[in-house]
Amino acid sequence: MKGATISPEVERVLNFIGMMAMVGVLLGAYVYQFLYRELPCTLCLLQRVAMMAIAIGAAMNLRLGPDPRHYGVCLVSAALGAAVSIRQTMLHINPYFDTRAGKPTLEATTNPPFGQALVGLDLYVWGVILFGTVILCVGIVQLFRGAARTDGREPEWLSRLAAVGVGVLFFVVAFGTLTTFLECGFGDCPNDGGWDWWMFR
Amino acid sequence: MTVAIALLAVSCFFLWVRKAQWAWTLVMAALIIGIVIFITDVDFSANLGIQL
Repeated sequence: MKGATISPEVERVLNFIGMMAMVGVLLGAYVYQFLYRELPCTLCLLQRVAMMAIAIGAAMNLRLGPDPRHYGVCLVSAALGAAVSIRQTMLHINPYFDTRAGKPTLEATTNPPFGQALVGLDLYVWGVILFGTVILCVGIVQLFRGAARTDGREPEWLSRLAAVGVGVLFFVVAFGTLTTFLECGFGDCPNDGGWDWWMFR
Repeated sequence: MTVAIALLAVSCFFLWVRKAQWAWTLVMAALIIGIVIFITDVDFSANLGIQL
């Protein structure tokens, strides 16, 4: 399969694109949060954790060079994110779970969606699609990976691109740490979708 | 939750400024905290008793 491999440079550029896609999704989630004044629930925040971890896995490929361990970080994170988003989707589909009360019920009920929809789909449904796509993309890249370069040389532009990209990612994750602390402190996060910040109670 | 995201921020910072090879360990620690929060949130005793 020597003819059908991608070079480490191309692989790192693909990781940069994936990382910036995650950064874009996270920034979009913050825009929704502040635009509609709705705090993310516990499951929503867990999906953000998974997205950040996927982005860091891609960032490790960028900064340290492509490595199976870094792709492993992406896959484990995507698996967690998929589990969380599938559960949240199921909770809203299941008529015998009252999401407003947060517990099962013996009478069939209709649950309102959590948060605002995007192009007709709720954000946690987009989460299922996103995490599935990540798993698919990592699998495809693995199919066409070439042998790792051992001479340690890398193009200057790629090194700069990696530093800038990972810097942007750090500020997004640091902002996430701040907003999560303001929302939840060190305890449980609110699940009612309101605007009840722990810090400002 | 704050601790999990803070671990990710620290991991990302050292990856950015020091090219830290061990950054993945902090990511895994954050994911383990996430898994614990997720399992706690499921509340098996209340949910599965009726759903099954």
